[in-house]
Order: sequence, then C-alpha cells, then structure tokens
Amino acid sequence: MMDLAFLDAPFTPACAGTDEPDGHALDALDAARPAMLGPQRALMPNLSEVQEHLKIVHGTTTLAFKYKSGVVVAVDSRASAGAYIASQNVKKVIEINQFLLGTMAGGAADCQYWQRYLGMRCRLFELNHKERISVAAASKLFQNILCGYRGYGLSIGTMVAGWDHKGPGLYYLDSEGARIEGNLFSVGSGSLFAYGILDSNYKYDMEFADAIELGRRAIYHATHNDAYSGGTVRVYHIDGKGWRRISEDDATVLHYQYNPGKK
Amino acid sequence: MFMTRSEYDRGVNTFSPEGRLFQVEYAIEAIKLGSTVVGVRTNEGVVLAVEKRISSPLLEPASVEKIAEVDSHIGVAMSGLTADARTLVEHARTEAQYHRFAFNEPMLAEALTQSICDLALGFGETDEASMSRPFGVSLLIAAWDEHGPQLFHTDPSGTSSRYDAKAIGSASEGAQTALQEAYKKDMTLGQAEALAVATLKQVMEEKISDTNISVSSVTLPEADAPEPLKFACHYVPGSARQPVFHIYTTAEVKAIMDRLTA
Amino acid sequence: METMSRDVAAMSGYGASSAAAGPTMHQWSPYVMNSGTVMAICGKDFAVIAGDTRMSVGYQIQSRNVGKLLKVTDKAVLGTGGHCQADTLNLQKLLRARMVQYEHQNGKTPKTSAVAQLVSQMLYGRRFFPLLTKNIVAGLDEDGVGCVYTFDVVGCLERVRVACDGSAEELIQPVLDNLLERQHQQDKPKPPPLHVDLSREDVVNIVKDAFTSAGERDITTGDHVDIWVIDASGVHQEKFDLKYD
Repeated sequence: MMDLAFLDAPFTPACAGTDEPDGHALDALDAARPAMLGPQRALMPNLSEVQEHLKIVHGTTTLAFKYKSGVVVAVDSRASAGAYIASQNVKKVIEINQFLLGTMAGGAADCQYWQRYLGMRCRLFELNHKERISVAAASKLFQNILCGYRGYGLSIGTMVAGWDHKGPGLYYLDSEGARIEGNLFSVGSGSLFAYGILDSNYKYDMEFADAIELGRRAIYHATHNDAYSGGTVRVYHIDGKGWRRISEDDATVLHYQYNPGKK
Repeated sequence: MFMTRSEYDRGVNTFSPEGRLFQVEYAIEAIKLGSTVVGVRTNEGVVLAVEKRISSPLLEPASVEKIAEVDSHIGVAMSGLTADARTLVEHARTEAQYHRFAFNEPMLAEALTQSICDLALGFGETDEASMSRPFGVSLLIAAWDEHGPQLFHTDPSGTSSRYDAKAIGSASEGAQTALQEAYKKDMTLGQAEALAVATLKQVMEEKISDTNISVSSVTLPEADAPEPLKFACHYVPGSARQPVFHIYTTAEVKAIMDRLTA
Repeated sequence: METMSRDVAAMSGYGASSAAAGPTMHQWSPYVMNSGTVMAICGKDFAVIAGDTRMSVGYQIQSRNVGKLLKVTDKAVLGTGGHCQADTLNLQKLLRARMVQYEHQNGKTPKTSAVAQLVSQMLYGRRFFPLLTKNIVAGLDEDGVGCVYTFDVVGCLERVRVACDGSAEELIQPVLDNLLERQHQQDKPKPPPLHVDLSREDVVNIVKDAFTSAGERDITTGDHVDIWVIDASGVHQEKFDLKYD
C-alpha cells in the first residue's frame, strides 16, 4: 500500500529566501546549496541503507560557558556509527573565524558544511559592513539557514560562541530552529554528565585557570561515563583577542591524572 | 573621435557598419571623466592610490570610498561611475569567498579578474539580473597570490590586462607618462608608495592633502612563528605566510607625503 | 508510538520504515551495495592508496577487475570503497569534469587539499539523496608531504595519517591504529601529526598484509589489489593478487 502521508506534509520551498545576501541571489551562493528534491522528495525511495553509513556524531559531549573574562569551549573527539567508533580524532570545534567558534553535535557533515558556509557569510558581512559580525547576528544568520531547511532531516545541535562589541557571546542552536542565548550549555549524549560537573562548580566570576580546568574536567567525566564520548579532550578559550587552543589531552591520560591512585 | 557615429549608438547589442560598439566606447569615455587612480607593482607588494574629489568643503572626505577590499589578499581601486563598481565589488567578494568555501584556498588574482570581466561583459543580456548597459567603471586590482604580487586593469568592455604600473581616470595620460619614466622593476614598496602619491600630486587639479587621496597596498608581512602542529585536523593549507590588503589611515598617508617633501 | 515513528521517519526525509505494524509498505531502493575496501597511508614524502578490484552484489561476484581508484591529478588519487558502483562512476565522472573546469578557470592543477574540499562539497551537494560511496583522497600536500583525507557518505572531511573505508574497515582499521598510530601505547612516541614514520616499503607491505587478511574474512574483498604510490615523480601503479574465492 502506498504511503500517501506526504500529501498532508507541508512542503518547504527550496531554502526559504531568508538567508539571501543583500538582495542578490548570486550564482556562487546558489551553487553552495545542496540540491533540493522538491515535492518529489516525499516520493523518494527508502534511503535507510545510506543512513546507516552516515557517520553520525550523535554520541558526543560538547560544552561552552561564558564567565567574567571570556568563553570556554570544550569538546570530546569521538565519532561513532552505531557501536563502531568511526573516528577518535574528530575536530568538533569548528573555527568559523578568528572570533567565532561553533561546536559539532549531530550529523558531522551537516555541522561542518553549514558552519563553513556560515564562515563565508560572516566574512562577506565583514567586507560589506567594515566591522566584525556580532555573535548575535552570526547565530541569527545560522538560525535562518537552519529554519530554511527545517523538516529536511538535517541533524545539528551546536553552540556558537564568540566575542564582539558586547563582550562574550554564546548561543545554542539546533536543526529544529531553536536559538537560545545563555551563559552555559552542554550538548550531546554525554551532556548530562558534563552538566553534573558544570552546575556544581560553575561561577561567573571564576578565574581563567579555574574556568579552563572546569571545562576540561567536565568533558573528561563525560568521556569516562558516556561510551559514545571519548578520544581527545580539546579546550578552547575566547576573549577580546579571538580564540585560542588551550589544551588537547588524551582522555586516558587525563583519567590517570585526575585519579593518581588508580592503576 | 566619434565622427562616424549614427543610429548605431542606440543599443548595446548593435555593431556599427565599421565594426564598433558605441555604447561600450562611450562607457570607456566615462572613465576619462573619473578621478585619477594609480597602481604600482613591485616585488615587495602592490600600491593603489586614488584621488578623491572633494567637491565641497561640506563633504565628509571619509565617505568617499574609491578603494575596496575584495578579500584579505585582493583589493580594487575604481574610476568612473563608482556606483557601478559596487556591483562589481559585491560580485568579486562573493566569488572570492565562494572559492575559499569550495576549494579551501584563496582565489587567484587572474581568476578573480576574469570573473569580474565576465560580469562586466554580461550587459544587455535579457535576464533581469544583468545590467542593461555596460558598467561605466574601470578597476585596478591589486593582489598577492601564489604567483606573487600582481596588478590588473579592467575596463567596461570586459578586457583585462596585467601591468607593472597603470594610471586610469581623467589625468591618466599624464600620469601614465610619469609612471613610465619613473618606474623601475626593483623598486621597494616605500618607493612605490612615493611614486604613486607623487604621480597623483603632479596631475591633480586640487592641492593634494592627506584627506583628498586614499592609498592602499597588498603586502606579504612576516608571519609570527606558527604554533607547532599537534593534530592533522588543525592543518590549514597555505597558512604559513599570508598576504594582507590594507587601506592606509590618514596618518599613514601623511607619512608618505612627508617623505615626499623631505 | 507507531504514528510517532512514522512521522519521524517521514520528517527525516528517509521514508517511513516498515517498523510500523499493519500493512506492509513496499519501497523501491535506488541503491545496490557492490562493496569492497580501500585504504590509504601517508608518509613523509609519499602516500600509498589501495583498493581491491572485486565487484559483487550480495554473494555473487560480478567482476574481478573493477578498479576503485581514480587518478585525479599527478598528486591526488580518489579511492572509493563500500560503495554503489553506479554512484562511484557518477562521482568519478563529475569530479573529472570539475577538475577540467578548475584548470580552465584557474590556469593550474588543483592542490590535493582543494581536491579534497571539492569532493566534500560534491558529496554534500547530494545531502538529500546521498551517493552511496565511501571515499578517501590520498596524495601530496603543497609542501610535498603525504596526505590522506577521509569523507563520510555526505562529505564530512578530515585529514588523517591512515584511513580505511568500505566493507573491511572494521577488520583493518583497528590494526592500523595499533601498528601506525600507536594508539594508547603510552610508552611509545606518537607518529608526527601529518604522516606515519615508516618507509615506503614498510607501508606497502602493511597494505598487502591488510588486504590479504581482509580477503580471508570478508567475502566482498578479493581478487586483486591496486596499490598506487604517489610521490614527487607521479603516481606509481602496482597490482597485487589476492585469492579468487
């Protein structure tokens, strides 16, 4: 029996025009968009075979928080496809530009592609307006893109963190179209473990060293307790001079460092 | 000059019997009304200097923009109908950024120039997006890519050429002669800055000052020692040393002019 | 619960699954899995990429001589394993066309990093109807150092030292992690960030061992292995025999 459910499903037109650059639908930007299938999308055959080959980083721990002198971003590096570890060295911090970082949770390619695209749009903004884009504006651009693809099956849970004229900025966005400003977020399967450490130790008035250590420790605990998280714990810091890589430690090395008694 | 013109200058898509496209030639004439722009290429970088016509003492000089950054390694200076140049610059910026997006590398100057010329030549096409007439603007494009420092010139006919030194605009004939006499292949960047500004000074009708000209350059500054690479995922192609396009501040322009008089 | 899963499946763009009880839904599939394996390892001034030449559908062997490697430039080779052969041919053909276009527009041959980025964009361009291909690009980077790039099905790009993709990935990759990456061997020095610290001969031998072993345990890997070594003088091709069973 044929599935006619698609007749009821609202059809989203090919990327709603919300993310067009100033009035110009330039060929180059059009070329950057993945091919849309239009209404026939609903008639598409079963693609579940490919789905199992999509290297999904659903299993992930990422976190970011603002504190008095900047933003700390920390992530793990494991990519799993089912129970198989597809990679232990995924770069889950995406360097959008010198003052903006994005994190990766969900579909690895979805995050990577659209945050590179966002980087391009932010750079164009900078050239046209002669000033750096604010974190609020950059995350809004990203949200508009994601809303344009709502219902198409993108899988993105990301934090956009940066520094602008207002100081530190931090937003959580996802492929359902959410965009939330906040001081502290964690995303991914290990986020509950990370929140446990973060919530009990986070203070806005922390010093730099304490903030870094909190980020690292929270990710470490998540890699320890969540089988879908692991690999390398990367910590970044953003302040008025832009982002910096602070540390990249093997989760196993951290384990023995944090638990000196254990063999 | 246009003795033979007739009905044939009424459309952009009709040749005259002598084989001329008058509207394109008129557009090229429009450049000769524009303010003077000078570009000088050296092995240390490329300098662009433009005259800003400050037509009224009430005009805010900083609002006259005749030099634009296209990407961190490419800048353009314009003469003619500068409003038309904005369309070309917007196109160039998008192309340059898209090239980075698609190939993870900066766009070559020649490829970018060609893409500007493609748009410049796309006038008169029937789709709504294209211009109905030729762009009445000429550009000098300063760039530094993997082939080193380069200076390109484009005009409304969509023709581009590479130059060591080039002047466009109302006083271009005198300025080009001056450049020809003074240009040397082994000039330093400082000498090129001086030559560009001195040439403008010589041909400008108004008295030159640090506010009625604008100067920019593209150079390859020494890079800070890179952080040692720990993971392959942080590898960025071509990141060792990156060229920088920079529009000079008033103080920097003044410093060049002081050198000239000293 | 049923309607939930149906809705979710419909929304995800992958069609409803047959998990829901009730009438059976029949669907046509555009994919055939022709499987096989590719792997690549890069050294200080060379890269080795290899792929077996068997093409199968299910348990039936369709061909013993279908290569999985494509020379893209003198310094970059694309390998496609665990794939749908039709999609691979499609990708290879489009990539060749894009290379010609790039050369005309830019007057030069693209760097390996540019090839990798382009492949990523092409795969993501089919995000909503993916090409069933698992790709590796191996070659030399702009400094002449060996490089390997891996992609997932929709183009997530990563530069690595060693990579294996396709049906025998789970058999080969863990051994490479141990031999070459020395993962979790805390008393041993790690290899440099961009390449493994082994000679060309050693690397080629590891590749041969890996494929011989995979051929013993994976039904879709066998017949021959194309082993291509990319160095400053070009792409050197070698064929190594596996078992025919």
